[in-house]
Amino acid sequence: MVLKIAFRNIFRQKRRTILTALAMIVGFTLSSVFIGWSDGAYGDIIAMFTRNRIGHIQVHSDGYLDKPSLYKTISDYSAVGEVIQTIPGVEAWTPRVFGAGLGSVGEKSTTVQIIGVDVARETETTQFDKKVIEGRILGDTFSHDIVIGKGLAKTLSATLGSEMVLFSQGADGSIANDVYTIVGILESGDDASDRVTCYLNLEDAQELLVLEGRIHEIVLTVSKISQVPKITKAIENRLNDSTLHVAPWQEVAKSFYRAMQADKQGDAIGRIVIMLIVAIGVLNTVLMSVLERTREYGVLKAVGTKPTQIFRLVLCEVAIISVGSICVGALLGVLANYLLSIYGITLPEEFTYGGVKFQTMYAEVNARSLIIPAITVLFSAMVVGLFPAIKAARIMPAKAMRTH
Amino acid sequence: MKQAKKNDVIVTQGVTKVYAADGIPVNALAEIDLTIRSGEFTALMGPSGSGKTTFLNIISGLDAPTKGKVWLSGRVLSDMSGNELSDFRRDNIGFIFQAYNLIPVLTVEENVEYIMLLQRVPKAERHERVTAMLEAVGLQGFADRNPTQLSGGQQQRVAIARAMVSEPAIILADEPTANLDSKTGAELLAMMNSLNLETGVTFVFSTHDPMVMESARRLITLRDGQIDTDETKYSG
Repeated sequence: MVLKIAFRNIFRQKRRTILTALAMIVGFTLSSVFIGWSDGAYGDIIAMFTRNRIGHIQVHSDGYLDKPSLYKTISDYSAVGEVIQTIPGVEAWTPRVFGAGLGSVGEKSTTVQIIGVDVARETETTQFDKKVIEGRILGDTFSHDIVIGKGLAKTLSATLGSEMVLFSQGADGSIANDVYTIVGILESGDDASDRVTCYLNLEDAQELLVLEGRIHEIVLTVSKISQVPKITKAIENRLNDSTLHVAPWQEVAKSFYRAMQADKQGDAIGRIVIMLIVAIGVLNTVLMSVLERTREYGVLKAVGTKPTQIFRLVLCEVAIISVGSICVGALLGVLANYLLSIYGITLPEEFTYGGVKFQTMYAEVNARSLIIPAITVLFSAMVVGLFPAIKAARIMPAKAMRTH
Repeated sequence: MKQAKKNDVIVTQGVTKVYAADGIPVNALAEIDLTIRSGEFTALMGPSGSGKTTFLNIISGLDAPTKGKVWLSGRVLSDMSGNELSDFRRDNIGFIFQAYNLIPVLTVEENVEYIMLLQRVPKAERHERVTAMLEAVGLQGFADRNPTQLSGGQQQRVAIARAMVSEPAIILADEPTANLDSKTGAELLAMMNSLNLETGVTFVFSTHDPMVMESARRLITLRDGQIDTDETKYSG
């Protein structure tokens, strides 16, 4: 009967109920789009950042990540790679060699970062081939080809076919230098990196840096990014080698990850604003409704309704409006997120996040974009409804029945 | 301390009620000692402001006295918590109000059924008793109507049915005929009188209505919050 009275009470003042519901629906939909948009945008950023550059998980010699050094290497990387490849969920892996040096084209010179890559594996893992915007990718082993970043090409006024001399230090202490032919210009999406980076075939880089088959980094990608922690653990267990360190992307790109987490904290402010919209709407209308029905609550108490039942009656009305609004808001939220996930929103100018360029942002339809707004709306409505409910439950029947 | 006898359904001792009107204390009731026995058909009379409604509210636990004690069916009202008091009213007292006070969102049948729902009476029994009670008050065929679709007299019949259906020991009626025409008022009074005689339920009215005074077998007059006269016409 409490439910029946609550349900019928809702339709007594239709306009007021609609206004209350609208506050909740708008709050829910805004919150849902906010979360769907945020998850979609960050999902894209993470996907681009990891897929294009750092992968999902990396393996290094212990201590390399904190303090990179030419000498902290992985010796039998093929064996490590074979073990990694057997772990379910791993898509691809690729070895890398890093070195710092001086690059010269003609009379121009600048400091460069040398990255040695296994062309086939790098292409499979981070779509290396798609980043080459001019010329071609590196040839197979010992080709003496070099691909340089777009910014670096500009700095050195280098063109395809130019010869580039690299000076560095070999792992044996010798002075390393060699001449390479520029076969491609690359754009990774990270301008800062493209201004200093050049890419060599893995064997060429190992020869230049006198690494004798050793590498510095293994980058791997997984099929589902949500499984990164689980796969990281599995690799650690399977390798069982204290000289190797397995790091998920969040550890590899600490500052990027922290910046993104800090940005996400901003979502909480949005949720507080939405809670306030809902709270003000609910408090105003429910309190008004309780005041209007003071006499009725007095009668209900007089004929034997317990204060706790009156309390439940008021909260029940709030809950019914909330649940109805959540259902409508969920439909609108899913629809808006679905449309935004297909068409996205193209910004007037592209922006860079974590070194990755973006212009069109897409939303995502996920459970989070429904569950969090539902909890937010229901929680704020019920909390705000407590005050009128307590007020109604504590009414003195004799006094209440004197009101008109 | 006064001891309630087995047959005493309402006992008050030194009941006093002081209201603060604009900060000025107003004595609504002063030291009322009264005993009403089971089955009595009692009218509380007196001019407006004499304390009739206040007294009804206090003996039903709808309001608390400033001083004094009330025993209802042997229990002290002031010793009960809010929930206990609600349960006690639900199981022992039926109310008939001057303004009917039906629940507007419930139909006639649901209004009458409401108290039995609180008492968790099984559905079949509820339906049976509601049907019988609506017939007794002459409202068969009105079960699905809303209170707003009824006349004042019909609404008061629903209120009587609601008060009677749970078979309480006491029915308190605050000016039950005040808003009714004299014919309807007489009909309802006759109905309550016969219910009193048939079931032995105790009726206490507050009233200005000469018809009610004529029907009542005990007449108590309140003046300035005190009992002025207490007259039993004949024993029931």
